[in-house]
Amino acid sequence: MKVVGKQLPHDSAVGHVTGEALFVDDLAFTQNELIVDFIASPIAHGKIKSLNSVELAQLDGIVGVFTCADIPGHNFYGPVIQDERFLAEDIVEYVGQPIAVIAGESRKAIRHAKKKVLLKIEELTPVFTIEEALVAKQFIGVTREFKQGDFEKAWSIAEQTLAGTFVCGGQEQFYLESQAAIAWPGEHGEIHVHSSSQNPTEIQEVVAEALGLGFHEVVCVCKRMGGAFGGKETQAVIPAVMAALVAAKTKRPARIAYTKDDDMRSTGKRHPYKIHYKAAFTAEGLITGVNLEIYSNGGAGADLSTAILERTLFHADNAYFIPNLFFKGTICKTNFPPNTAFRGFGGPQGMANIENVIQEIALVLKKDAFEIRRLNCYAHTERNVTPYGQVVRNHLLPEIMDQLAETSEYRQRLQEVEQFNRESNTHLRGLALTPMKFGISFTTKFLNQGNALVNVYKDGTVQVSTGGTEMGQGLNTKIRQLVADEFGISYDDVRIMITSTEKNNNTSPTAASAGTDLNGMAALKACRKIRNNLTELASSHFSSPQQGIEPSVEHICFVAGSSGGNSTVYDDRLPENKITFRELVKLAFMERISLGERGFYVTPEIDFNRETEKGEPFYYYTTGAAVSEVLIDRFTGKLKLERTDLLLDIGESINPGIDRGQIIGGFIQGVGWVTNEDLRYSDKGELLSYSPTTYKIPNIQDLPEIFNVDTIENPQHKINVRRSKAVGEPPLMLCLSVWIAVKHALSAVRNDVIPRLNLPATAEEILRRITELTENSEEYAAENYSADESEVSLVSLPILSDEKK
Amino acid sequence: MRDYLLFYVNGIRHQISGEHGFQSLSDFLRGDLGLVGTKVVCAEGDCGSCTLLIGRVRNSEMFYEGINSCIQYLYQLDCAHVITVEGLKDEAQKIHPVQKAMIDALGSQCGYCTPGFVMSLAAMLETQEAMTRSSVLDGLTGNLCRCTGYEQIIDAALSLNQKELPKASKRFDDKAMLADFTEHISKAVSCEFEEKWNGSSKKVQFYVPTTLNEALEFKQKHQDVTVVAGGTDISVQMNKERLEPACVMSLTHLSGLESLEINNKTITVGARLSWSKLAEHCQQHLPQFAEIIEIFASRQIKNSATLAGNIANASPIADFLPFLYVIDAEIELSGYQPNAEVVNKRWVRINQFYHGYKITEMKQEELITRIRWNLPEAEEVLKLYKVSKRKDLDISTFTAGIWLKLKKGKIQNARLAFGGVGPVVLRLPETEEYLQGKFLMQEIFQEAGKKARDEISPISDVRASSDYRSQLAENIMKKFFHECCDTQNKKEAA
Repeated sequence: MKVVGKQLPHDSAVGHVTGEALFVDDLAFTQNELIVDFIASPIAHGKIKSLNSVELAQLDGIVGVFTCADIPGHNFYGPVIQDERFLAEDIVEYVGQPIAVIAGESRKAIRHAKKKVLLKIEELTPVFTIEEALVAKQFIGVTREFKQGDFEKAWSIAEQTLAGTFVCGGQEQFYLESQAAIAWPGEHGEIHVHSSSQNPTEIQEVVAEALGLGFHEVVCVCKRMGGAFGGKETQAVIPAVMAALVAAKTKRPARIAYTKDDDMRSTGKRHPYKIHYKAAFTAEGLITGVNLEIYSNGGAGADLSTAILERTLFHADNAYFIPNLFFKGTICKTNFPPNTAFRGFGGPQGMANIENVIQEIALVLKKDAFEIRRLNCYAHTERNVTPYGQVVRNHLLPEIMDQLAETSEYRQRLQEVEQFNRESNTHLRGLALTPMKFGISFTTKFLNQGNALVNVYKDGTVQVSTGGTEMGQGLNTKIRQLVADEFGISYDDVRIMITSTEKNNNTSPTAASAGTDLNGMAALKACRKIRNNLTELASSHFSSPQQGIEPSVEHICFVAGSSGGNSTVYDDRLPENKITFRELVKLAFMERISLGERGFYVTPEIDFNRETEKGEPFYYYTTGAAVSEVLIDRFTGKLKLERTDLLLDIGESINPGIDRGQIIGGFIQGVGWVTNEDLRYSDKGELLSYSPTTYKIPNIQDLPEIFNVDTIENPQHKINVRRSKAVGEPPLMLCLSVWIAVKHALSAVRNDVIPRLNLPATAEEILRRITELTENSEEYAAENYSADESEVSLVSLPILSDEKK
Repeated sequence: MRDYLLFYVNGIRHQISGEHGFQSLSDFLRGDLGLVGTKVVCAEGDCGSCTLLIGRVRNSEMFYEGINSCIQYLYQLDCAHVITVEGLKDEAQKIHPVQKAMIDALGSQCGYCTPGFVMSLAAMLETQEAMTRSSVLDGLTGNLCRCTGYEQIIDAALSLNQKELPKASKRFDDKAMLADFTEHISKAVSCEFEEKWNGSSKKVQFYVPTTLNEALEFKQKHQDVTVVAGGTDISVQMNKERLEPACVMSLTHLSGLESLEINNKTITVGARLSWSKLAEHCQQHLPQFAEIIEIFASRQIKNSATLAGNIANASPIADFLPFLYVIDAEIELSGYQPNAEVVNKRWVRINQFYHGYKITEMKQEELITRIRWNLPEAEEVLKLYKVSKRKDLDISTFTAGIWLKLKKGKIQNARLAFGGVGPVVLRLPETEEYLQGKFLMQEIFQEAGKKARDEISPISDVRASSDYRSQLAENIMKKFFHECCDTQNKKEAA
């Protein structure tokens, strides 16, 4: 029985529902284990004058307080540019930045001791916004430029033009399991780390560097994460180093588990952006040129900002052909925690901007925005080259948009919405259909590799280890399915083991939606080596010169049974002559044939030249479209998502149930970003919305009342593991339909100007825009610029209180 | 009097005293018992990951409901039975149908929130609630999931509809527990211990009285006492180290204060009545108020929190305060009287209760015992508003209560109370006066909105800017007109 393509429950589902699935901080304490915490900077930018670490270390129950001076290796790291410190040296650059690590016998002891911290910092002028960073000339990495055709010419001869500024805020990953790590000291100075990390290899390397060890002296394992969403791609490093430092210094096991508050205050988020745009287009709405000046707010360190900005540039076209363009992207350095990966990785900001531009083109021309989107959408044989020179192949973008418009009754509903808006004094409705095209592969070429270890045991059962980490996305389930089918054995006979740098070395982070693509293929390659050996053995085993059956591998069949142990192998010329898979494996063992292999996979065909900014960075694209309808209260700005229809091309699904969960979960997470997730800081750079009381991720009541989710078949897609497509990140960007629907609703307030709208469209933002449209008519210049708006919400007054219900 | 707390966890008896009683239930389960299925994410009752079932004695039976274990301290749990996710499997180690449904519908992804969802669904079975889409949404409002987008969790819940499902509590023999509790419940609990650290020592105590007199006497004697009703705010403050009380009195066992009387035109609510129970009654008598309660908090919170606790907590953004202001509710304060048989009682109008931010009329030796108000009459119009970032389970940015008494199409009397626009809930005397004698016309309410805006000076904070709050104050008057006065728009606005 084949299992690929079947909706099987999540690999760990039984553990999840019974509470038996263990996360880092659920592991039982070992003898002598220490609790680790950190002393963080309360100042966004300043010079450290003194810390009473010696006194603190003397307090009851405190075992050690360690500063940067105690780090035996080196104190700097960074996945791309090594510009960050594990522990601040003389300068602090953001509120929440770790300055010292404190280790104690109990949480209580640490709680007490932290009240005795005397930290003197001389304040320096902080920089919080892109505008401030531009004045201070504080940047990270280099400015990138994408060019195609001649934008200036297109602009000068354009029938129509528009210009404006797109402003969007950040987003907290809000994985439910906060950052956590445990380190155990080993023999001869070795360190074993259990980390909640998307990237055990990086933890291994960085811990080794911090402690002055060889990589071979550190092992990092990760059983599972309680969500990650990019937030544990690089930033799991700091807690891991803290625990490892304490373990190395004290020779005792050491555990750190951030509180949600500390996690939100000290880790990076999705990047806020500000994009100045200019668009040239024809009277019909065909885009002839786009100019983008893109700025991201990177925070205090490079982290992954350069790769994230690159992905913004790669997705600034979304699904539209732009013949003449000039995109320029710059990362601003500010005094916030280094911003980092979050599902979409810069894509959502670039795509939101172009969707906004298209919506405005429609408003200028007084046309239905869907027609403009359809008109500019990538075609098949022409108008299919991206700004970076990659041809969009084998895609169904126009087909998806047309089918979705049809099944969602877009046109009829648009008329109803317009009618409603003419009649209602109390509410506004908005409707929008937006497409999504997301490039799959790490844009950093060398990361597109994976390795897997497959061990077949003498009873015919199989253990698989890959560098991929399980964070809820169902990677382990999918690999189990792939491996079971490859051997023709039952799903129950395959287990996915803990991710460990001991078994899989030099692995890439589980990121870029490529976890299954890379690790699934690597696992299959390992399986095929074993299976080839087994096939050969079976062919000689079943050969029967008396019956004229010569050994032939082509005739060997592996057929899965209904349960473990009864899978069979036979030669199809003598099908009655079956043996079980278990018997074949035993035979192989006796014949001294290897039953354990490693598979290694690299994504083929991809390449990108950063000198010319041209190439084929993506193996393929995952695409889709969404249509959303919103209802807005004119008096309060309150937004209600009434209906959403999603349609995606995700290739041949390995597990439709898991993919459905990825689609819905990604979409709703995106809805949070574009509506209610509002990071607010004090004017001193302290995050004020640092817990779910004040930071509102979508809850169950925020689902659209009508919610249709579907996939489309794409027979042209013939590549990738079992012809599947990556599904992790792409659905998030379907949320743009909701944000654009708000913009559509606002355009019903007045039709002579283009309504402004920042992202997220909170009730406050929406009401501000409604008020602006109804009351401040003179202030609305023809040139609709909101360049003066800030991408970061800074509250200038102290908070009133921290009330609870 | 006894010096230990008594409770059961998954059928196993625990006696706890001293320092051990002074920790949250979730810490106790995870740390002391190793029951790590209960997860803690926010430690403030907003994510539901720590949800479990609490059974307490009610009408000589055990009654179970879902609560957040991170904000229940052990001193609140005397004579309770705690059922955790580990307690859902039956004797044969077979998983509960709720768990099976979550597995089959792929209701879990990372799995961290999952035990909390499972327990919230199990709580719905305890009250035999039908699994319809709307009841499931209500039952799971207090549980956050970041992975699934909830749909497959809803699928799981709906697959349980129409099925005969065993209550999780049924597998435990609660007769023995009941007998044990009955024997203990009438005895107050008092625990004291020395907290020593680094050469200093601090006396810490908690007290669980059984009668009002005991409670008042204790309050009189201990100036520094922190009184805990549901604990949904105080426990948060303690978890976040904003409050470190050395003396706590839990009202868990205070008898006679869980009443709700509806007498002619007056509702009288006992101080210990939970929001859940209050909501049940309001559905019938005060639909306006019930609507606000519905979005006010999660079920877990409503099962613990009380109206009196909210009043005493004196938050200017408490959702129900504008209602109490415009309906002119009264608060009964009871005070200790030495050597007297009866307690001192006085009624204070809520409009006179708050003197400033977190400053109230209540004296040190007093406790809130009851709240009462008159039900609105036919010629009275009452409308309550709550604006928050997220509709459900979010703290208000702005709240408003608008009450008009009409006579022959004219406004005879108006009461307006706005929350979130100052250190206390504000009445708007000038706007109220302006409305007096006016007809129900759009221009009137537009003007009233402008006046209302001028009467307040809100601040900017983490939830909203002052501009937004001012605009809301103005707009809410227009919204009120469209919803309540402008019949043409009435249907649509609803």
